[in-house]
Amino acid sequence: MAGTLQFRDHDGAQEAIRKQLHTTIFSQAFSPGGKYLAVGTSFGEIAVFNISASLSRNSNEEDMKPTFLFKATDGPIYCLTTTDKFLISAGTGDVIAWNWVDVLRKTPKVAWSLPIPTNRYGLSNPEVNSLAIESKDGGKRLFAGCGDNNTYIWDLESGSLVQTLAGHTDYVHSVALKSLSDQCVTGSEDGTVRLWDLRTPQEPVAVIEPYSEVTCARSEYGRWIGCVAVDPTDDWLVCGGGPKLSLWHLRTFAVTTVFDTPGACQQYTSFFEDTIISAGSEPYVNHWYINGDRRSRVPCTPTSVCNVTINSEAENNKVLSVVGSSAKVDLCTNFGYKALSLTVC
Amino acid sequence: MSASSPKEKEKKKKRTIRPEISAPKIQVAKKPKNELSTGRQFSEEDEVEKRDPLDDLKEHKQACSEIRNSIKSISAMKDAGKPDTGEVEELRTQGTLQFLVLKKLNRLAHIRCKKVRDSTNEAKQKIDQYHLQLQNLLYEVMHLQKEITKCLEFKSKDEEIDLVGVEDFYKEAPPEISRPEVTKNDPHQQTLARLEWELEQRKRLSANFKETQNSKNLISQDIKSKKEYLESLQPKLVSIMQATKPVQESLNMRFDEIQEQHQTAQHLPQPLYVLYMQSSAYKEACDKNMAVSIEGDVEAAKTVESQQDQEQDEDSDSDQEEQEQSKRKSKHRRHTTSSDRLEQKREKLLKSHPLTVVLEIKCKEEGTLHLVFSYLLVLKIVTVTVKLLPGKDVVSGNISGSDLLAPDSILTCLYPGDEGKSTPNPANQFELNRLSMDSFSFYISKVGHPYLWVQWLSGLQFLTASPLTNDQVSSSHMEETIRRLRRRVASRLSLQKQLASLEHGSVPVSSEYMSLFPPKISSRLVSWRRSTYDDFAALPYCKHLIDSCLAKDSDLFFTTCAERGSAKLKVEVVVSPDYPRTPPVMAVVLQWRTDHTNLNDVNIRDMEAEVNIHYGELIKGKSHDQLLTNQIQRMLMCFDLFLETEAGNEAMEGPAEFPKEKICPRMTRGPIRSKPYKYLPQMGIFTQR
Repeated sequence: MAGTLQFRDHDGAQEAIRKQLHTTIFSQAFSPGGKYLAVGTSFGEIAVFNISASLSRNSNEEDMKPTFLFKATDGPIYCLTTTDKFLISAGTGDVIAWNWVDVLRKTPKVAWSLPIPTNRYGLSNPEVNSLAIESKDGGKRLFAGCGDNNTYIWDLESGSLVQTLAGHTDYVHSVALKSLSDQCVTGSEDGTVRLWDLRTPQEPVAVIEPYSEVTCARSEYGRWIGCVAVDPTDDWLVCGGGPKLSLWHLRTFAVTTVFDTPGACQQYTSFFEDTIISAGSEPYVNHWYINGDRRSRVPCTPTSVCNVTINSEAENNKVLSVVGSSAKVDLCTNFGYKALSLTVC
Repeated sequence: MSASSPKEKEKKKKRTIRPEISAPKIQVAKKPKNELSTGRQFSEEDEVEKRDPLDDLKEHKQACSEIRNSIKSISAMKDAGKPDTGEVEELRTQGTLQFLVLKKLNRLAHIRCKKVRDSTNEAKQKIDQYHLQLQNLLYEVMHLQKEITKCLEFKSKDEEIDLVGVEDFYKEAPPEISRPEVTKNDPHQQTLARLEWELEQRKRLSANFKETQNSKNLISQDIKSKKEYLESLQPKLVSIMQATKPVQESLNMRFDEIQEQHQTAQHLPQPLYVLYMQSSAYKEACDKNMAVSIEGDVEAAKTVESQQDQEQDEDSDSDQEEQEQSKRKSKHRRHTTSSDRLEQKREKLLKSHPLTVVLEIKCKEEGTLHLVFSYLLVLKIVTVTVKLLPGKDVVSGNISGSDLLAPDSILTCLYPGDEGKSTPNPANQFELNRLSMDSFSFYISKVGHPYLWVQWLSGLQFLTASPLTNDQVSSSHMEETIRRLRRRVASRLSLQKQLASLEHGSVPVSSEYMSLFPPKISSRLVSWRRSTYDDFAALPYCKHLIDSCLAKDSDLFFTTCAERGSAKLKVEVVVSPDYPRTPPVMAVVLQWRTDHTNLNDVNIRDMEAEVNIHYGELIKGKSHDQLLTNQIQRMLMCFDLFLETEAGNEAMEGPAEFPKEKICPRMTRGPIRSKPYKYLPQMGIFTQR
């Protein structure tokens, strides 16, 4: 009937709007060529954007929407990372690898998956909060910081779990790898940052407690460490969370610089060239100089930023992408201001 | 001697001159003292008047020549050298005497001169005086002239009064007023008399007016009392009718009644006929709990029917006439009549058919929905007026939702977007514009709501400009619409019940939903009140709901407040008119130490998601009825968990303000440290989603 067509109930549309309003994008990864950007949402969906189209001069509305969106898991996707062949997603449940070719063909298939070892709680599967890939000597290893306080390390060639780093007393937020030595760093909800040597995985090499350091402790925000990063020379470590963002010298284990972000807890940090990028529970991305001065403070759409990634794969698509508590992905072409926003819908 | 003589002369001259010069001084100074001298003075003055100046001149010349002669003869004698001293002496005395005469003449001349000057002065003064007088008089003349013109310009009030003509006046007025003998020749008296007559007449008319009004009042009172009497007859007649009903029933005469209704149905306009037919068929077939009847004046319907054929012919003519008339009017600019006519035209446009179809839908215990459908003859649409007769055990008396059952709003958005505020027939818009009735909504209170579903039930479709009646349209919507009507009444009543208890601070949770919530929730609802769209729109943390059209002007807005200890949770609730089909949307601000909103705290955003997105878990089976209270209850539960798991709670010294009553294996989880808002009833614990 024409009448019914005219007044079709739009409950579906309403639901979509509600869902979009409450979408949080936790993670993102650029495709090996740097032409596509995949983001993982709180609804377990992976959306793929064609950023070379979005950034082109004659882009239109449609280019700001995902070229493809699929449901990957039931729970939220907390982390995404990529190898030259696979897009690896994790969050609730197994670590799943998707072949980039399949994803771009819009026929995603699970290429392989790695189960998280059964936990002692038995209540819910521990989540994966951080993924890191190390490719050295031809072999590839995947690091996963998990909700059961452990960090698991798999060999990607054989798909076998090679090591487990246990010792944190609360869940692991973030994993960072040292590039020159066989070491890694983990930051945890328990407030400690632990430095592990993979040759002696039973005990951490060192334990840093930023919450007990007067210059960076903030008891009102708690002890937790939400992000850690190590610079390419392996000399410096930056970490933040409940305590202020702080720069530590890795040989002396002493704080050298404290970056103050009043009222905000940092959830993401990384080294980029000579600067440190950090973001957290405020709608800004901070760029810092090593000496503690703020280089810039770039406003962005999400009120809470979960991840900032720079597309270093392709020179002509070199952008800084910001995701967080919003259905929008902010792209900054010159890192100084937001150029455009992509929308997951 | 000769040498000394001129000196002596000079001395004498000096002597003689001196008194002459000083004379006036002495005179003035001595005047008051010396009576004698004044006497001389006066005598000299009088002398002046007596003497002729010309004579004095002659005398003067004579004296001068005598002196000259004396001097000459003396000199001659001296020249001869034999100066006879006696003769010389005599001559000298004579000459000297002549000087006296000269002195006298000189004095006289002075006095005369003074006199002349005085008289000149006097004359001058007189002239000035006369001049002044003249000016005064001229001024007076001017003033008087002004007065005269003023008087001439004066207008009496009576000139404005439109008096009876002179001839009529003499004809009509009694002689004691008209007094022809005086007034015929004196126009002033005539005017006075005419004014008097006018006054007399006016007095008489006003008395007449009062009298008439009194009689009118009397008559209207009479009419009123008669009307009252007639009205009192109505219940009596009704009771008589009621009394005869059992007889009819016992004689099994109901068949006639139906027959009669069907007979009446013949006179229904087509759309209402379709509606009547379809609804009675639906009633017979599927739904015994509804009643269909026809109400209204059958006779009037018959006349409308017969008129309609004629009108179709007349319409075109009358249109032309109207146009011409309106042209004429615009020329004459007679506003009052044209606006009256416009009003009449508007009324004509909104005129409805005298017959209406009444549909009564009984909804179990909740009450009866009373729908009156009428057909607008000119606009060719069907409108409905709604009344809800609530059942006995329906809770009423809440403030915030008092208009939920109001006839105006109870059926809005029965189908999405169908607010029933504008006419569904696109062709109507032109006619409405022509009579400058810009918005149809203004007339809804008069004619009822033209909901789209009403048109469907009447088989009217307005996809093209001309309405087509179609039985299929009606029958295909009948079932769905009746279903929706019932559900709407039920949901509105249940919403009202929920609001009533929310207002009292209690969140009712029915037994079937008990398992969704933990046994203990420590935060309490402290207030629940109605809010407005504008208040809502002003809140920064609600902006995203308005931007994405989840909160519209037509929705109902509530503000509620919950408390636990020093923490406060303010919830803005948006209830759609389509509730519970469209679930309520909420936005919160949590006030504890600082204000937490979705703008600065991800956990608040998650809290809102618990009710805005995951509401599906709060609905069991088909019943949506407890949705709002369940959402509020979940909000309270999340409020508890937020406080119990918030980092600041434990960091403070001494016992925590909010003891951990809920069991949650993980306080936080994931990168954004989500809180365990999800309740697992089997284990009685809380986890993250």
